[in-house]
Amino acid sequence: MSQNTMQVMHARDMQKTSGKQKVTKFLSQAGVYLFLLIMAAIVLFPFYWMIISSLKSLAEYRLSPPTFWPAQVLISNYADAFTTASLGVLFKNTMIVGIVSTLLSLVITIFTAFAFARLEFKGKELLFAALLATMMIPGELFTITNFATVTNLGWRNTYTVLIVPFLVSVFYIYLLRQNFLQIPNELYLAAKVDGTSDLKYLWKVMVPLALPTLISITILKMMGAWNSYIWPRLVANDEAHRLITNGLRNAFTDTTGDVNYPVQMAAVALVSAPLFLVFVFLRKYIMSGVSRSGIKG
Amino acid sequence: MVESKQQWKAWLYLAPAIVLLLVFTVWPIINTVAMAFMEDYSGLAKIGGETAFGFGVGNFVKVAENAEFQQALTNTILLCLITVPVSTILALLIAVALNAIKPLQKVLQTIFFLPYVTNSIAIGMVFAAMFNVIGSVGTRRPLISSYGIVNDIIRFFGGNWVNWINSGSDYWANMFVLIVYIVWNALPFKILILLGGLTSINKQYYEAAKVDSTPRWRVLTKITVPLLSPMLAYVVITGFIGGFKEYTSIVGIFGESMGPVHDAHRLNTMVGLIYDSLASNNQGRASAAALILFGIILVVTLINLWVSKKRVHY
Amino acid sequence: MKIVLQNLTKIFPSRNKKSNEEVVAVNNFNFEIPDGKLIGLLGPSGCGKSTTLYMISGLQKPSSGKIFFGDDDVTELSTENRGIGLVFQNYALYPHLTVKQNIMFPLQNLKGKDKLDKDAMLKRTEEAARLVQIDQLLDRKPSELSGGQQQRVAIARALVKMPRVLLLDEPLSNLDARLRLQTREEIRRIQKETGITTVFVTHDQEEAMSISDMIVVMKTGIVQQIGKPQDVYDDPANLFVAKFLGTPPINVFNGHVKGGTLYIGSDAVMDIQTVPDQEVMVGIRPEGFVLSENGPLKCKPVNVEVMGRDVSIVSTHEASANPFVRSIINADNKVDVSSDFVRYDIKPHKIFIFNKETEERIYFEVK
Repeated sequence: MSQNTMQVMHARDMQKTSGKQKVTKFLSQAGVYLFLLIMAAIVLFPFYWMIISSLKSLAEYRLSPPTFWPAQVLISNYADAFTTASLGVLFKNTMIVGIVSTLLSLVITIFTAFAFARLEFKGKELLFAALLATMMIPGELFTITNFATVTNLGWRNTYTVLIVPFLVSVFYIYLLRQNFLQIPNELYLAAKVDGTSDLKYLWKVMVPLALPTLISITILKMMGAWNSYIWPRLVANDEAHRLITNGLRNAFTDTTGDVNYPVQMAAVALVSAPLFLVFVFLRKYIMSGVSRSGIKG
Repeated sequence: MVESKQQWKAWLYLAPAIVLLLVFTVWPIINTVAMAFMEDYSGLAKIGGETAFGFGVGNFVKVAENAEFQQALTNTILLCLITVPVSTILALLIAVALNAIKPLQKVLQTIFFLPYVTNSIAIGMVFAAMFNVIGSVGTRRPLISSYGIVNDIIRFFGGNWVNWINSGSDYWANMFVLIVYIVWNALPFKILILLGGLTSINKQYYEAAKVDSTPRWRVLTKITVPLLSPMLAYVVITGFIGGFKEYTSIVGIFGESMGPVHDAHRLNTMVGLIYDSLASNNQGRASAAALILFGIILVVTLINLWVSKKRVHY
Repeated sequence: MKIVLQNLTKIFPSRNKKSNEEVVAVNNFNFEIPDGKLIGLLGPSGCGKSTTLYMISGLQKPSSGKIFFGDDDVTELSTENRGIGLVFQNYALYPHLTVKQNIMFPLQNLKGKDKLDKDAMLKRTEEAARLVQIDQLLDRKPSELSGGQQQRVAIARALVKMPRVLLLDEPLSNLDARLRLQTREEIRRIQKETGITTVFVTHDQEEAMSISDMIVVMKTGIVQQIGKPQDVYDDPANLFVAKFLGTPPINVFNGHVKGGTLYIGSDAVMDIQTVPDQEVMVGIRPEGFVLSENGPLKCKPVNVEVMGRDVSIVSTHEASANPFVRSIINADNKVDVSSDFVRYDIKPHKIFIFNKETEERIYFEVK
């Protein structure tokens, strides 16, 4: 009998605490969402501000307090931006540099990673360690001498100067080599037995199997061309070869004071749009590439 | 591995990479170190640079004594010391929060990654627009036509407007804007890495903690952070390395003048200084500054590794 | 196609950089594999059996010695040009290709006069698939197949180019027990149908015995014995071979020969006149025991395991080299476990004696 009562009491206690727990849990969960939504709003705000500003007339932009949606949507800002910054030429230059350097870089990276992952030669470990060691050194240290080198080579203000010095990325070689190493060695031996040459094995088996990594590299490399600023400004800042980021900065030198912000924001939106499109369609590859790299572009 | 006597084949595969690396990586290392110790030297003899030079530590002395260098070093260190901890803690909180929810998780994760896929110059211009004040700022009696959205928000909550980036603005107001922008830019990568680390933590630890009815904050400080410590160490180290190379964020907001109109270059950083030296055809001084930067990054990385070795649990 | 291995030796440099000790993986292997036979290379891990197989394939080059396919010296020929098929332990199927593309892959590499047009390739692929009974799976990816099916695809890929020699590296070790039994019969069937000289490597003696025409038992790089499975079992050349073949394994005792009599402990088990006095190791197959009231070998029974047709008596003996002595006898015999002793007669052809030091077989004649 007494045992029975105890059990009943115990059950009621449990019910009470679980009810209390439910409330606490709900509140804390609501707090988590509130925090995340506020942070998300802060993160998104600059994008929102860029877009609505790019659609306002200059007069409306100067209103205080500001409007949070353009009273009059002015698409013409985009046309103005396109001509002011001659975005057409800049897009073209950037695409040429981006595509050519990505393709060449992929070929070099694939060959190098393959040699390190699958071929035997003297001094392999030492050479690879030396390559990795160069990753420690900040790029600025190379830029100084490379600036002199390309000047002496007469490469200033050409596409070559924007493409060649950055074709080899030790990091991409490392990334792809790791991926190649994950492919079981038996596949290589099997291909040998099947009468396959090294080169054919590389293109028919290893490259398809490492495709996700190669896509990640492609995107990061293209983004790199899109976002590069310092090197192009130093060596190819002429009209004919100027890249998008420099073009944008050059076209709108003033950031403070009484600037025609709507047009400027329209230009910024146009430059940002391709990156967003790539992100929307290839999010998976970008995020996996970035989580392994920790570098921007 | 197949035994092959054809070693030359491997070298053939390696040839393009090795040639390019020799020219654009190995040679620069040697040359930059050499140039740093060559006084009054410019590598660009062709375009009228000096060719006579002597050896010594003169470049380092000149760089170190240079007021602009001291300013740039101060700016860089201040930005690093503030933005790295702030962005790491914020990223940690966001990652932990994201890890605790189910609905909306993917959407929010994507939103928090968005700043990563941006052009830092372009979005810097957006931040400038948000903080910019239109009118005669910096005069005795300012006449303002638009305070900018950030000031509008401050005024809406009853605060006083601030001259963030315009002529006559305060150093720390400038720094505040930079910090906000740099943190905003640094969050995505850190969240991605930390969230990746969180999802790989064995759920059993949390279940065990639940059985012991451990309060939330204790779970965070005593379980999550220690188990996440390798990733935290990683984002802190990469954060410092990136922070010491900060440059384009400032160009984005202030333009190449690297400062507000009344005091250009006051926000210059180490990297900016190196490029200024290069642009003024002073290779020796640029090399010395680059080596100093490398030395600082190396020391900071080693300190970080040393601390994390003591602190990282594994 | 017969395969001749002549003084085949493989020496690996030491893995430990400090010592210069070399590892002799295969030591002076001589063997002529007759045409159209299935040969099992058998031994514990690290015995050099896989290295031998890889040398036949050309994936590893011998340190010395020669390999002939028929009358052709292939020692210096690279793998691609040897015309062999090789099935790997983990199958090594190309994960991004379908079953059909996997099987067709070797055909696409044929050059010169061997080059096939698309239809011929497809026909050959389908034939190979039919042979291993996977013709209904051609459009799947390897990841969608079971282990047994993957194994068949690997065999089809090895067979499709009609190799001169088929090599199998531990082909059954990744399969579960039931599938292993089924697949090994399948391998036997395919080998018989195609008549290709086949060499396969295994550490499982039962597997090797059950399907091989001949087995090669190896240990630490040295060939211990070559012969038909039953012959090797019945007539092991040394203690290692005797211990390696047979389940349950052979019982080993410390014994000695004195005045023409073989003693196990203090039990005088047999008269062997031709052997001089010495310490010996004695091996008795489990099926070599016969219960007998006056049998010379006295063991203390521990347990009786019923196995249906047979029973297995687990007992102890002071001179046994293992903790237990295991005999297998007909289930009609009644055994009392609680009794102090069981006594056995030993079948003379199931008992072997070995030199105590060299462990080589000592042959004797039973009177």
